[in-house]
Amino acid sequence: MDLSRYAELFRTEAREHLAAIDEALLQLAERDATPTRDTVDALFRAMHTIKGMAGAMGYAPVEQLAHASESLLAAARDRVDHGLGASLGTAFSTLCQDAADALAGHVDDAVDGRAPRAPEAALLRRLVAHTAAWEAPRAVEATGESHVESRVESRVESRAGSHDEADAPPFGERVDELATRPLPSFAETAEFSIADVASAVRGTGSFDTDAVSHTRVVAVTFDPDAPLKAVRAQLVLTRLEALGRVQSTEPPVQSLTDRFEGELVVVVDSTEADDALEAAVRGAGDVRSVRVRSRRERQGNRESLRSVRIDLHRLDALLDLVGELVISRDRLLQVAEQSGDRQVQAAALDASRLVSALQDEILQTRLVPVGHVFDRFPRLVRDVARDLDKMITFAMEGRDIALDRSMLDAIGDPIVHLLRNAIDHGIETADEREAVGKPRAGRLVLRALRDRGSIVIAVEDDGRGIDRARVLARAQSEGRVPAEVRTLDDEALITLLAQPGFSTAATVTAVSGRGVGIDVVASRVRALGGSMEVTTEPGRGTMFALRLPVTLAIVRALLVQVGDQTYAVPAAAITEAVELDDVWAASETRTTDTVTIRDESLPLVRLCGHFGQVAGDDAGTQVIVVDVGGRRVACAVDALLGQQDIVVKPFDAVRGAAALFSGATILGDGRPALIVDVGALA
Amino acid sequence: MSRTVLICDDAIFMRTMVGDILQQAGFDIVGEAETGVQAVEKYKQLKPDLVTMDIVMPDMGGIDAVREITKGDPTARILMCSAMGQQALVVEAIQAGAKDFVVKPFQPSRVLEAVQRVLAA
Repeated sequence: MDLSRYAELFRTEAREHLAAIDEALLQLAERDATPTRDTVDALFRAMHTIKGMAGAMGYAPVEQLAHASESLLAAARDRVDHGLGASLGTAFSTLCQDAADALAGHVDDAVDGRAPRAPEAALLRRLVAHTAAWEAPRAVEATGESHVESRVESRVESRAGSHDEADAPPFGERVDELATRPLPSFAETAEFSIADVASAVRGTGSFDTDAVSHTRVVAVTFDPDAPLKAVRAQLVLTRLEALGRVQSTEPPVQSLTDRFEGELVVVVDSTEADDALEAAVRGAGDVRSVRVRSRRERQGNRESLRSVRIDLHRLDALLDLVGELVISRDRLLQVAEQSGDRQVQAAALDASRLVSALQDEILQTRLVPVGHVFDRFPRLVRDVARDLDKMITFAMEGRDIALDRSMLDAIGDPIVHLLRNAIDHGIETADEREAVGKPRAGRLVLRALRDRGSIVIAVEDDGRGIDRARVLARAQSEGRVPAEVRTLDDEALITLLAQPGFSTAATVTAVSGRGVGIDVVASRVRALGGSMEVTTEPGRGTMFALRLPVTLAIVRALLVQVGDQTYAVPAAAITEAVELDDVWAASETRTTDTVTIRDESLPLVRLCGHFGQVAGDDAGTQVIVVDVGGRRVACAVDALLGQQDIVVKPFDAVRGAAALFSGATILGDGRPALIVDVGALA
Repeated sequence: MSRTVLICDDAIFMRTMVGDILQQAGFDIVGEAETGVQAVEKYKQLKPDLVTMDIVMPDMGGIDAVREITKGDPTARILMCSAMGQQALVVEAIQAGAKDFVVKPFQPSRVLEAVQRVLAA
């Protein structure tokens, strides 16, 4: 069986578990506390899972190191159970941390295909020594730990033969004893974990994201007057256990007694969606509220008690209000400036500063991790892959990157479109892939990352890449590109793909390619104030990247007059503004469809005609130059009215008109203004 | 077709009361058991949609009966009937495979809610 397609999955999961180990150790260090049973349990489970997965993948060094660590944790757990947790000391966390750090290196080595190196001998020796020490009869222990410690140390040393690592016998011999040592009390854990790994690795069909489980924190509040709330809590646990693996609970399971207050927090690993977990919890009865969050959002229990739920509409209303406040702030500043009164100006500046702070605060409140939208994609990808009979390994990165709530709602569909495209057109069938020497399973990655002021969401596949020649031929046959053009670079390619009605799909499938293509995605992204990029290499794959502002609600815009209407042009797209007369004066010829600015001939778009308005006397005397994905276009307008922050309102355009405008806004004086979709001018 | 119920309780009073509540809600009481042993036997014989199970019964208690029944049929839908103060026992019953519980004295609405949950699961 070809295991390579599970390698990245292994890496992702192993990293998750290593992160969980880091977190547990960090908490231990912060509280300067004796390890509790729960902490050691969590560490043990993480180590155990890594070992199982590594075993299934045949990554011997990872498995050996994880096994030695697991044995150590088993011994530590035994110790904690006997009330001797304090005797573990700092050696415990130090050792665990060292082991986790070393494991991270071996995991990467293994996945990246570097030659396996034996685990660090000194580290293994320490793990073995402490395991033996902590497993030693506790009666002896009570008489003096140092004595036992040294005795075991010397035993291990003599087995190892020498302190010198170079002379140490092969690693395997030393660990063999550990490997054969039974771990009786963990037989159950071992059983289900290995079963999990086995089923994950075997894979039943052509797709394996089913095996990706996420750690969720489920907070449950029971009705205060419900009887036997602790039993309800037990029911909740039973139901969650049916859907995943319960890692820990707060309060701990043993303390679910009569005094249980009715608030339960469960940390659970599950492949199920948040909704499914919530439904299961509600089914336990007497549940007042349930909240399911990803692990990464958790900031400790204190944090969860300090948060409140707010109706989304309230949040939207708040944003609208603050938007208008921002606009009236600008007017206030303007009026104050004109008044010439220093006191008024100082007061206006003060108010302005507070409004800005308020705006920031509210925008922050609206940020939501992209994971909320991403979480539904593994299933979607699997279903689409199954429908199209493709083998896909799907990975997601940057789930905790935050975006504005309304943006998040709006990017879901474009991402779905890109994922479907990638599976349908990008990734080849397993047989085709094998024929060209690629792994049978295509790799599809959905990634969110922060890049300067923007958020980039990228969909990357390792498929056949976009056939530039075909796109060019198609574009030329449709008259979109002059016949003399020989090649398309990435920028020209995306500009073409983003044009309405342009599709190169050879066949129409149920999934994509109905003539509605990248252009829909592009216009949606532009409406959000973002842009789209593409990178593609024949036979190597394609990456579509959506570059989005972190928040969409308020943008800086230049207000322009065209006919009797005011329009807003996003300031980010404008490179310069000039008078048309100056342009004409500087050039020898007066053409109507192009202008020459700084020796560059730019297409001239008269917005007046573009928007279907009747030209006035001073029509088109001003020119603004906008940059559309690297292409510059000159737009003639009647007058420039100045820059302003505007609040972008959802815009339900009639069909066909959407290509011109990306949204609408309300100006300071209450008049509406349409926001020009700059991308559609190119 | 109405859902079938097997009621297990050593007290006639409780059986009658639970029976009335469920009958009025349209359930079909197909059998009653006074002991855990009877409960197990009748379950196998009647295959009811729902079992209500008292915890303390002579001749095999309710919890052991739950274990026996779910051993034969893991999908058995068993509702525990408990008194206040039996928390630890109810927990045990749920770990043994019972799907939900109600606390005596019974309020018809709470019994029916619990029954709905058990049947929905």
